[in-house]
Amino acid sequence: MSVVDKYINYVKEEAIHQPEKSWDKMVLGFKANKLKMKLLPKKGMAKGYQKLESLMMSFVADSLGKRGSYVWGNIFAPCEILQCFGLNTLSIECLACYFTGYHLEDYFIDCAQNSGIATTLCSYHKTFVGAVESKVVERPEYAVTTSLSCDGNLNTFRYLDKKMGVPYTFLDVPYSDDEESIQYLADQLRQLVTDLEDRFGQKFDEEKLRKTIRIENETRRDLKEFFELQTKHYYPGELISQLYMMMGTHLLIGTEEFRDLIKFMIEDIKTYPEFTGKKILWIHLLPFYQESLSKYFNENPDYQIIASDIIIDYMEEMDEKDPFTALAKKVIHNLYNGSYSHKAKMVGTLAKDLEPDAVIHFCHWGCKQASGGSILLKEKMQQMGIPMLILDGDGIDKRNSHDGQIKTRLEAFLELIEAEEKVC
Amino acid sequence: MLGYICKYAPIEIFESMGVTMKRIEPDVTNFNQADMRMHPNICSFVKGVLEEVMAGEYEGVILTTCCDSVRRLYDVLKMEMPDKFIYILDTPRITKEAGTSLYETRIRKMIQKYEAFSGKKFDEQQLKDVLDKQQKAESISHKKNCKNIGIAGARATDQLKQILESRGAHVAFDLTCTGLGRKFVLEDEEILTGYTKGLLSQFPCMRMESASNRDELLLRYVDSVDGILYHTVQFCDNYAYEYAWLKNLIKKPILLLETDYTRQSYGQVLTRIEAFLESLAAGKKQSINKKGENGKMYVMGIDSGSTSTNAVIMNQDRKIVAYSVVRTGAKSGESADKILKEILKKADLTREDITKIVSTGYGRVSIPFADENVTEISCHGKGAHYFNPKIRTILDIGGQDSKGIRLNESGEVVDFVMNDKCAAGTGRFLEMIARSLEISIDELGPIAMESTEDIEITSMCSVFAESEVISLIANNKEKADIANGICRSIANKSYSLIKRAGMEPDFMMTGGVAKNPGVVRAVEEKIGAPLYICPEPEIVGAAGAALYALESCL
Repeated sequence: MSVVDKYINYVKEEAIHQPEKSWDKMVLGFKANKLKMKLLPKKGMAKGYQKLESLMMSFVADSLGKRGSYVWGNIFAPCEILQCFGLNTLSIECLACYFTGYHLEDYFIDCAQNSGIATTLCSYHKTFVGAVESKVVERPEYAVTTSLSCDGNLNTFRYLDKKMGVPYTFLDVPYSDDEESIQYLADQLRQLVTDLEDRFGQKFDEEKLRKTIRIENETRRDLKEFFELQTKHYYPGELISQLYMMMGTHLLIGTEEFRDLIKFMIEDIKTYPEFTGKKILWIHLLPFYQESLSKYFNENPDYQIIASDIIIDYMEEMDEKDPFTALAKKVIHNLYNGSYSHKAKMVGTLAKDLEPDAVIHFCHWGCKQASGGSILLKEKMQQMGIPMLILDGDGIDKRNSHDGQIKTRLEAFLELIEAEEKVC
Repeated sequence: MLGYICKYAPIEIFESMGVTMKRIEPDVTNFNQADMRMHPNICSFVKGVLEEVMAGEYEGVILTTCCDSVRRLYDVLKMEMPDKFIYILDTPRITKEAGTSLYETRIRKMIQKYEAFSGKKFDEQQLKDVLDKQQKAESISHKKNCKNIGIAGARATDQLKQILESRGAHVAFDLTCTGLGRKFVLEDEEILTGYTKGLLSQFPCMRMESASNRDELLLRYVDSVDGILYHTVQFCDNYAYEYAWLKNLIKKPILLLETDYTRQSYGQVLTRIEAFLESLAAGKKQSINKKGENGKMYVMGIDSGSTSTNAVIMNQDRKIVAYSVVRTGAKSGESADKILKEILKKADLTREDITKIVSTGYGRVSIPFADENVTEISCHGKGAHYFNPKIRTILDIGGQDSKGIRLNESGEVVDFVMNDKCAAGTGRFLEMIARSLEISIDELGPIAMESTEDIEITSMCSVFAESEVISLIANNKEKADIANGICRSIANKSYSLIKRAGMEPDFMMTGGVAKNPGVVRAVEEKIGAPLYICPEPEIVGAAGAALYALESCL
């Protein structure tokens, strides 16, 4: 057993048997992993994805390592506003994934379920709630959540507040896409700023927010260019790279660091060979641990995930002159908000721009908003002449994903798209 | 006629326009349409609504953006029924001024749409007339000389209330969205504004920001009842959070009941409610003396399970005179006749010698000669206490279900948890696996004891677990190790059951699976304590039923 595995096992045992004492050791492990990623990056992976992984590990390890430097959020919390207060937003969904580094997801999920939390709830939420239930996690000063994109958000954050006393701001994202909705949400964002000023004793500087939005616009334009390049060049990444990229576009968007990384990736990808395999557009989450999917999509010149809707869920230019309205619009126009036809339309545009050979929709256990519309999306893709595969499993809990079944469905689908090409 | 589901739906607006509004309460036997058009893992209520609307004669449906599943329901209905009035009303989660004024705007837009669709006209004065006529619903009521039960959680069906009332309990309150009355304060100039405020100021459901204040009201209401039935819907996760929080705060007995809106679940729902009511009634003394002519008295308990039918004859001194176990055939009534003959022969008695027969188990209502029936949960409690009074927690694994039951020192049921409609962690599951391993079910346990390597069976679903086992066989893994992996997987499931029921030593295991040494060892390892197993673990329920019979006669 390697030193790393020994440490992982040690922290896991500590978390189970002496939870109150385990948090610092867990954070220390994240810090060690950050160094390891810098010094010994994964060899087969493209340089940009190596840097991305290392950036995200630093982001989490450094934030957790410094008390008071972060708030808990969900993935749609307005990180731009929090950045103006010098606060990082750590989404609980992402933190749940980081806990899997210590193989603690089963234990935490069982803890949550044993306390009465529904077994059919999203496993990301269950993992995080379980970590809190088992008293492993350190309490932050504040939390910010939105009603987008699922029911779990408000309920989880309310529960965490009751269990642990973490005060939070809840942003109600209206379903309808109209002016009233935008103003309703923009007003809530203004109120959030006032609340943060009071809580953290800092004055808000609107110019800072404008600058963040300027960087965000630039980054988004760059991202578009990068994804187009990724349809042409073989740029080896892993399933988890997509999740890191999603973290970037949701928690670090608007920072110079993330913008510079994307600029680097644009230049770097051009130095890689032409991609001649099958281009896959991925919809929804990715079970990064999954054996068969890893085999096909981790550093494979035959199949490349060229983009994913979880990364590019908003592509409009934001108006820095009216930052609160711009941020409200960003959430309301998001691919995950509103009716499924809105989502299908946005995925359709993405498919038109990037011309994938196939679409794979992963139905994550417990995610009603995504699974419930998967068949509608399949119909839309069929109309566009793009084959789509629906896979069922779990983004985090191995016990809900059956490798044999996923493998059969995936291989049959890949055979189908290969056969289609021969017919053409 | 328009259908609706949510308490925030402004139904009075449509009523004032002369439209009949019907709250959709699905009563379905399958989810064929929903599984085809949506996904199996969607809230069961919503799947039921989809079936009902697609089969029904609704002119349209008024939905609200109440949850993720309903949002997707709207998408599917809109696409499937383009000619009907399928409308989703964007309902804010914030009930302060900003929320109410936004909701009023939304309601006005909806009125315009419906006017255009139907040709009808809306008039605020007519709305006021409808609202003035509404009777104020009483929120809480009590009845003497019976158990008063409060319902909370996710939308309660009429069926739940009917079961409670028909078993002699009184529904004191229903704080779910189907049981609440509305109150409106209206001013002539601003009727719609007052109406909207009234809608949003109802007792908040879990989607609302103000739901944090639900505890206070719930706790106040709870004081006045004997027990709480906390209802949740399969694949709706919102109320489980509240249950997880409240269960430690509420001092009254609380039953967590998950339903899925299908007719087939009736039997399981019934068992759970009956067992709950029995546990509330426990401790009452009854005395009817019915000894036979010779001063001797015999009673019988019969437990009709899905795999075996078990019977016990007991005398007035609480001594077991005879017992019998037979396999349950396709008809539980036939197995009961068979066991009756067999046990009477063993005890050397006739039917006339038996003063009272109490039936229990899954087939308890199908036994024609039983005088009374009691659920297997209460019977297992009583039976366990009879065999070993130190027992506080029972794990009962039967053919088709498994249960965790917690007892107090008098052997009364304090809490219980049953598995869902799923074979994982049951005797049936072991049978399936034994078949895959090409061994008999009786061999599985002893073989597991010979295991030398730990194998994790990760799949929770029994079908997936079976194919996982087949892959392990293909990988040349040892039968003993696979068998032990399966025993450990059952132990994990069982642990979670008894943990939810509240783990308190001493522990006992009952049911046919208690004869499997592999499972017993794995459960003991998992809970870190020994299990008490009585010599014939299959007759514990029947012994409990016999004790019920005896107590009602002595």
